[in-house]
Amino acid sequence: MRMLRFSFINFRNGFKSYLSLVLSLSFSILVLYNFQNIIYSEAFAVLGQRNKQYIDMLIQTVSVVLVCFLFFFVWYATNVFLTRRKREIGIYIFMGMSNRKIGSLYMIEISFVGITALLAGVGFGVLFAGLFQLVMGAVSDTEIDVRFGVSYKPVVFTAVSFLTVYLIFALKGYWNIVRSSVLSMISAARQNEYVHRKSQVFIVKAVLGILVLAAGYVLANKGTNQDMLANALLAVVLVIVGVYLLFGGLIPLVFQTLAGRKSFLYSGQRCLWVNQTIFRMRKNYRTYAMVCIIGICSATALATGFAMRERYNNMILFDNQYTFQLLTNQPNLGEQAERLIRGEADIACQTSLEALSVDRDHLVVAYSDVKRAAQEGGLSPIVREPADNETFYLSHQMLLSLIMGNRQIPVTLGDEIFQETEVIRQPYVGYMQKQMGCFYIVSDTAYERLRQKSQTLYIHNYKIADDTDFERARAAIDVLISNTDENYTARVAVNPFDNDLEWIKVLHALCVFMFLVFIVAGGCIMFMKLYNDAFEEKERYLVLKKIGFSSRTLAASVAKELLGAYMLPFVVMTVSAYFSVNALGRMMYTNLFSIYLVSMLVVLGVFALCYILSVAVYRKNVGV
Amino acid sequence: MNDKKVVEIKNLVKSYGAKDFQTTVLKGIDLTIYKDDFIAIMGPSGSGKTTLLNILSTIDKPTQGTVMLDGKDVTRISNKELAKLRKDKIGFVFQDYNLLDTMTLQDNIALPLALDGVPARQILERIRELSAAFGIEEQLRKYPYQLSGGQKQRGAVCRALITNPEIIFADEPTGALDSKAGKDLLHCLRRVNESGQATILMVTHDPHSASYAKDVYLLSDGMMKCRIGRGSDRKEFYNRIIDLQTSIGGDFS
Repeated sequence: MRMLRFSFINFRNGFKSYLSLVLSLSFSILVLYNFQNIIYSEAFAVLGQRNKQYIDMLIQTVSVVLVCFLFFFVWYATNVFLTRRKREIGIYIFMGMSNRKIGSLYMIEISFVGITALLAGVGFGVLFAGLFQLVMGAVSDTEIDVRFGVSYKPVVFTAVSFLTVYLIFALKGYWNIVRSSVLSMISAARQNEYVHRKSQVFIVKAVLGILVLAAGYVLANKGTNQDMLANALLAVVLVIVGVYLLFGGLIPLVFQTLAGRKSFLYSGQRCLWVNQTIFRMRKNYRTYAMVCIIGICSATALATGFAMRERYNNMILFDNQYTFQLLTNQPNLGEQAERLIRGEADIACQTSLEALSVDRDHLVVAYSDVKRAAQEGGLSPIVREPADNETFYLSHQMLLSLIMGNRQIPVTLGDEIFQETEVIRQPYVGYMQKQMGCFYIVSDTAYERLRQKSQTLYIHNYKIADDTDFERARAAIDVLISNTDENYTARVAVNPFDNDLEWIKVLHALCVFMFLVFIVAGGCIMFMKLYNDAFEEKERYLVLKKIGFSSRTLAASVAKELLGAYMLPFVVMTVSAYFSVNALGRMMYTNLFSIYLVSMLVVLGVFALCYILSVAVYRKNVGV
Repeated sequence: MNDKKVVEIKNLVKSYGAKDFQTTVLKGIDLTIYKDDFIAIMGPSGSGKTTLLNILSTIDKPTQGTVMLDGKDVTRISNKELAKLRKDKIGFVFQDYNLLDTMTLQDNIALPLALDGVPARQILERIRELSAAFGIEEQLRKYPYQLSGGQKQRGAVCRALITNPEIIFADEPTGALDSKAGKDLLHCLRRVNESGQATILMVTHDPHSASYAKDVYLLSDGMMKCRIGRGSDRKEFYNRIIDLQTSIGGDFS
């Protein structure tokens, strides 16, 4: 009981110094709670069961990523906290306390931090749940049913996930204290701070870092997209290792070299902040590397979201190229169908094609026929006519596809073997192309040759001008459907109000949120690190003031040191994210450069905000 | 003796506490320090030594009286001017060295000039001269944690001297050193003082340290009780300080 009281007093008195830890942890909890709450709040239920299932699955996946992130975040935060507290609570050893007791004291104290963070995180989470859903709906451009209310399930999930992770690291801290020597406890804060100044080690690390990083970039960007996907995991590992080596080698090496050049160093506040950065580098390089990797992840997450959104738009455009399509063996059905539709709706565009049923599994269309239909349907034309023994497969837009544009696959059409050399994703035959998956383009000569041995079919496509006429027009055209040998007529109708793919928009929103979560977390880590540093620097700044340096000079030095702390990860992140986003763009057949620029600008904005806050708090804490 | 007044203190009073519960620590101190002086201020605990030094260092403000430093009344000038005065005219040496552990000894010494925008070549030249005078050339590339107390304190004195200040305020400079290191440091201080490079005001409780000064002032109960000059023999001066200390009494530790 006495321990509990003692710990609580410690916690209460030192709350200011715990604030950054509590706030950062609360933020992670808030995000996790809000994602979970979406599943249980039924906000997306209005989109239908199938969409809801997909969205729930996505959110569960995101939650797993968030819990993993929480794991590393708590690991980092409790480590920083432990180092700080170790020196203070180490003094208790002189009061006759055993390591075990000090460890318990730490456990209780850190439990207060955890519980406060959990309560604040869930509390604010509940408070902002409605807003979060609204923003989610707005970003994904979906109609959702925002419900205010607290469901116990997301609270339980969040609390259990957080407390499990937290307990692991609280126990780790306890074990660390129990096993620590008195000396290591008292000098904990100063340990590991002196940089080993063996330049050779830095040079090896720097060279290795550059090579490993470059290998990661090359691996992620070379070859076909199948190669890129196969190499993705290795590329990610190489980039992570490379970033760590870069920060552990190249950056200290650069700073140490700069510090060695006195003509550079002895100029204004450089002498202060360059030395300060070197001094802290050994401890900080892991933080910089971590923030940098989080930044790369965030930019890639945003790019994924936008690539998915673009895919969604393309899929919707593809599916809705034509509202109604008829596939028939009747040569003159087109006019009748047009008349029937026009009786109920205006037609915005219509095309007709001829197709050959060369066997049970393949339908063949002629190059010039498709070219004409493309022009009439407002689609981009086919680049070239296939050679006589060549065919182009008419595919459709997919969310993720590894099929390359160029390949050589033998295809038997009728009794002839063709080489399939291209996969075309333009809806020349509309939704039917996706539904049937059996359309091939051949040259006009090959088409005429195949005509002799095939049944000729006719395809009529119609796009209505006003979507609200859909149901009436469908009822009208349905009278043509027939399934007899003499009269075979099939109809495809694409409901413009169909929302089966809405979940992709939510995926886009989730990616945007992941981007923001990651980048705010990156900013939080930097802020937390500098906040804690400031407490350790207090004495040093007091000395500087005592020997006559003005607050203005010291404030300028703080600003420069902290600018370096934020700029270093930002620069490495900007370069690395370019390659990761570029690789993603190549894999998804899209140009994501503008998304890359936007993401880096947002990161810069978040970092700028954190920087301003850090400088203000740092200055306040060191008293300049 | 040089006639140039570096510091002139007149009727210096310093009180702490609220109106009805005031404690007066300094009760009307008058002191004039001339260029090339080496003054030691001694006194028992609570006599006001540190308060006096804090006021002279412009870290604290007096309740009454004037402190003229290089012709300016430090009690009346703005904070900006005070910072400039501290930077340009005063050098500080503390008991616990106050070197920055983030940088090498050389960078510590260079810091005041670097911040002042002096060209690197001049700074390096000045460091070379001072480090040679204080015997720490070999230690310049080391970090404070790699140095002995004596080396650190000599480095701190170099840092204080690098700006060619009007006066050096030294607060118990040998307090954390062993007798050998303390003696070496005091020899160095006396040498720079005698060569005309520094006017020194040292606060100490140690009669041995004080015996290196040219004049010793005894502060007791907030007032200057007496002043004794060294003469030619340091050992005899030391004995006189001890006698004086005994006659005044109090805790000099």
